[in-house]
Amino acid sequence: MTKDATIQTRLFDWTLVIVLLLISFLCLLPLWYTLAVSLSEKSAASAGQVWLWPVGFNWNSYKQIMNDSSFFHSFWISIQRVVLGASITMIITTMMAYPLSRSARDFRLRNALMWILVFTLLFNGGLIPWYMTIKALGLYNTIWALVLGGGVPVFNVILIVNYFRNLPKELDEAALVDGAGPWRMLFTLYVPLAVPVLATVTLFTIVYHWNEFFHGLVLTSGEEHYPLQTYIQQLVVVIDTANMTEDQYKRLNELSNQTLNAAKIFIAMIPVLLVYPFLQRFFIHGITLGSVKE
Amino acid sequence: MIKKKISIAMALMLVVLSACSQSEGNKVNTPSSSTEEETTHQTDESEQPSDPFGKYSETITLTYGKAVDPSDKSLPAGDTPEKNQYSRHILDNLNVDTKVIWQAASGTNYDQKVNLAISSSDLPDALVVKDTQLRKMVKSGQLEDLTDIFDKYASPAMKNFMAKTNGQSDKSVTFDGKMYAIPSIQVQSDGVHEMWIRKDWLDKLGLTPPKTIEELEKVAAAFVEQDPDGNGKKDTIGIAGQQNGGRLYTNFLESTNNTFGLDPIFGAFKSYPGFWLENESGDPVYGSILPETKEALGKLRDLYAKGLIDKEIGIRKSAYEPVTGGKAGIFFAPWWMGYGPLPDAIKNDPSANWQAYLLPLDADGQFNSRMGAPSTSFVVVRKGYEHPEAVIKMLNLLVRDEAKFDISVPVGYYPLRVPMSYTDESEYSAKALKEVLAGTKKPEDFTDPGYKLLAADIQNVKKVKKEPYDNMDIQHWDPQADTGTWSRIYSLLVGSSPLEQNYNKVYSVLYSQTKTMESRWSNLKKLEDETFMKIIMGAAPLDQFDKFVSDWKKQGGDKITEEVKAYNQ
Amino acid sequence: MRNTGFTKHYYIMLLPGFIWLLLINIIPMFGIVIAFEDFNPGKGFFHSEWIGLENFEYMFSLNDTAVIFSNTLTIAVMKIAGNLIVPLIFAIMLNELRFAVMKRWIQTVVYLPHFLSWVILSGILLDIFSYTGPVNTLLKLFDIDPVLFFARADLFPFIVVGSDVWKEFGFNTIIYLAALTGINPSLYEAASIDGAARLRRIWHVTLPGLRTTIVLLAVLSLGNVLNAGFDQIFNLYNPMLYSTGDIIDTWVYREGLLNMQYGLATAVGLLKSVISFVLIVVSYALASKFANYRIF
Repeated sequence: MTKDATIQTRLFDWTLVIVLLLISFLCLLPLWYTLAVSLSEKSAASAGQVWLWPVGFNWNSYKQIMNDSSFFHSFWISIQRVVLGASITMIITTMMAYPLSRSARDFRLRNALMWILVFTLLFNGGLIPWYMTIKALGLYNTIWALVLGGGVPVFNVILIVNYFRNLPKELDEAALVDGAGPWRMLFTLYVPLAVPVLATVTLFTIVYHWNEFFHGLVLTSGEEHYPLQTYIQQLVVVIDTANMTEDQYKRLNELSNQTLNAAKIFIAMIPVLLVYPFLQRFFIHGITLGSVKE
Repeated sequence: MIKKKISIAMALMLVVLSACSQSEGNKVNTPSSSTEEETTHQTDESEQPSDPFGKYSETITLTYGKAVDPSDKSLPAGDTPEKNQYSRHILDNLNVDTKVIWQAASGTNYDQKVNLAISSSDLPDALVVKDTQLRKMVKSGQLEDLTDIFDKYASPAMKNFMAKTNGQSDKSVTFDGKMYAIPSIQVQSDGVHEMWIRKDWLDKLGLTPPKTIEELEKVAAAFVEQDPDGNGKKDTIGIAGQQNGGRLYTNFLESTNNTFGLDPIFGAFKSYPGFWLENESGDPVYGSILPETKEALGKLRDLYAKGLIDKEIGIRKSAYEPVTGGKAGIFFAPWWMGYGPLPDAIKNDPSANWQAYLLPLDADGQFNSRMGAPSTSFVVVRKGYEHPEAVIKMLNLLVRDEAKFDISVPVGYYPLRVPMSYTDESEYSAKALKEVLAGTKKPEDFTDPGYKLLAADIQNVKKVKKEPYDNMDIQHWDPQADTGTWSRIYSLLVGSSPLEQNYNKVYSVLYSQTKTMESRWSNLKKLEDETFMKIIMGAAPLDQFDKFVSDWKKQGGDKITEEVKAYNQ
Repeated sequence: MRNTGFTKHYYIMLLPGFIWLLLINIIPMFGIVIAFEDFNPGKGFFHSEWIGLENFEYMFSLNDTAVIFSNTLTIAVMKIAGNLIVPLIFAIMLNELRFAVMKRWIQTVVYLPHFLSWVILSGILLDIFSYTGPVNTLLKLFDIDPVLFFARADLFPFIVVGSDVWKEFGFNTIIYLAALTGINPSLYEAASIDGAARLRRIWHVTLPGLRTTIVLLAVLSLGNVLNAGFDQIFNLYNPMLYSTGDIIDTWVYREGLLNMQYGLATAVGLLKSVISFVLIVVSYALASKFANYRIF
């Protein structure tokens, strides 16, 4: 009986391991595939012969990128955007979250303000008024359009609010007895305790700023101001020939650059892949759904 | 490096100039003086025209938005899409400082930028737009009236180009009697879609170019079944098709340059979907809803089911790939394939002998081609810009000097460049080249400077065309000698020559939008595109066509037809 | 509480955020008026002709409207279901895994796709599912004729949902894993430990422990039933897939920007916002009433 049980348990364990490993492998596939294509011979890639291993292994694509100054320029813009975007967003959203995490008794406007936030999450005037506003504010074609143009990340604010609300109330009481004001409460009590959520939200912000391409397209005047994802988007996007003029057609040098594009995509993925595993341990505690009513 | 390029350009210019001076003997010496001469011809008109090439005494600024090709790497170091040989040429000659206020990749990204500029009324001084955008801008009162300025400043050459379009170009930019844009004037051959076919494959399989639809089917089947590329795999495509976002056929709004569409197959059924035609009683009808179109679709569906049309029609990222990769045997496209994809195709396989024909024929033995609008892009000037005439001067300059530029940097970098030429330029040039090659005419027999590139073409033709001069097969060419020249000459001699034959030219009754179309057309077109592709690919039965017709009529088609009728009267 | 003097400081803390909100999120809302206008850019937002509900009437007369709303709903609901169930199963599996190191590695790996953008992923997907791509090569091994995935309107919603679930399932396990850490370990001991009993334990202990979380997640996703994922579909679709793949957001983008149908596009967008807002209010109320839970 016991022996049977152990065998069963073992079987169970090993099946589990195999299934989980297979699924993990599935998650790595696109990354792996892109890498394989980027290291392959051009012709093999466009003929669709590349699957899990490079065909006609070579480093040409990467060598070519090394000489592409606009790629690195866009890379640098993206780095600036991420650093500025993440730090400013985190400071502002944390400061917003604290008052909004107070109870309605404590801060009367709290619920109204919260609903305003949710309202802006859902309603917008559309692309054109937004574009005109950005222009009128003088942000157009500056790094600030990319940093601030997305507006307040309401969802992130809600995440932080919820985390703050779930911290034990007794801490508040104790701090109050100590005579702490709201600023000290926030920065010396709440922020250190909220590291998991702040780390998680920081990561969200970094990823958002790294991956967002549309603002780069609309809010800047051209390639020399593009962040990396915009730069890549215009390379991989399907060229819409319907709108082309005659000479654009004639210039359309379309020998597929699949391998080069794959290499660019691969390099563009790397920074995010380097960051998130280090913040991973915070996720489980950082993402809270909401809170049980008091 | 830059200096070297310039000196090459100068040398080229001298060659061109000497060719001109030779040809025109004691009459004129340079192209510029020739235009001046024509200017003086015009002085007997009532009003004294202003100088089309007048240089401003003080530098003026002109801002504009630019479409760029992100993969193009032809600019020499230090040059930008904003500052390059073309912008410098304009600055030197006209004292106009051109500034790119924004740029975007050609196609959707550029359109998006233009639309944003229009809808936020935040326009640069000048822009190149397409028909729908032009209409929106006129309706919004955003554009400068160019009627008088064009009259005063347009060079005689440009006016000649316009005159050759029988008023069609004028009509496309005139609203309530006022001219609001300068239209591009394109060669009509851009709208004629020919059959390009691998002649080496035909020869290998002992076939001849297919004359009818039945023969086309046989040839395509042979291309698919009989391993024409000889690699032992059944991996070849009979008839290539358009890519994702491409068009199955041209339409009245986008009536030219439909590479890889299937227009000639429709034409063989006397079907012209996407065009406005006249019925027997002279009323306009929409070609897509006619029974001929159903018939053509039925055939295409059949061909697709038999695997003779590219399985991935309409889905491929790049329609060029099967051609450059040596996998496709037939495709339909205009004359200029020597510019692309053929250079890459012969680079990969030097024996790929692509030849062009006006085929397949209809049941009466005639080739039917729909014809494009002469003007598809438009240069507009923002209302209130102080120097609207500067835009016209820039285009005058482009027309005058286009042949002189160093062509290693594409002329697309010329600010506000739209194509401008005689509508018959490519056929005329092809014929001229053949006559010169055959020795029946001499270079100096061709004197009209309006055929801007012809003198240079005649000068260069023997660089890339080997003897025998009357055999156009690929082995009698030398593409390596000068790829740029090869592109042009091959396009002319192989691509344009067939257009000298007689063929049935079908024009659309209208090449622009009517009022109801502004709100309804995109939905009707969506319905059409979706239905036709589904029918061809077998995802919907052929009789879905009948439902399409009644839906189309109900959802605004009938109303639009009435408007077209009114427009026509 | 006694800290009434704090309110002033609360306002100061909120100030930067609400200025940002005002400038970028709120001011552009004046554009909503376009939905009731025949918008003429030359005349601007406040001087274009006022046409009342004409844009809305036109919207309801279009066949497209029904199609895009139903496409959106179909895809979004399938995504919601998939993103509830698959991560749940995976979280439970992960929870049963006894090798801690391996567990961490697997977590790292399955989080990965979440961090990649759709611009990049859709490019890869288009390659992988192309006619000559790896998936079709694989099908060939099993003697199945190659499938033109991106011409099959009938398959497209499943590709969209499948790839979305694939991208997000790893990351979505987080909430379940968090809830699992909250299950009282003594319950596990009580129900231990013989072999087959592990499945029973999942059924009797783990799942009930996650019930509240599941219900809450389901309720919260109500606000998303009109979000089918613009970035993903925009980068994947083509005209042949419009009948099943065109969603509200892609349609609004095409009409509003590419076809310059401002009024119509804004009207449809507004309708979507209103419905979503109502649904959020409903889900807030539901969560509060039945689970005694506050979403925010």
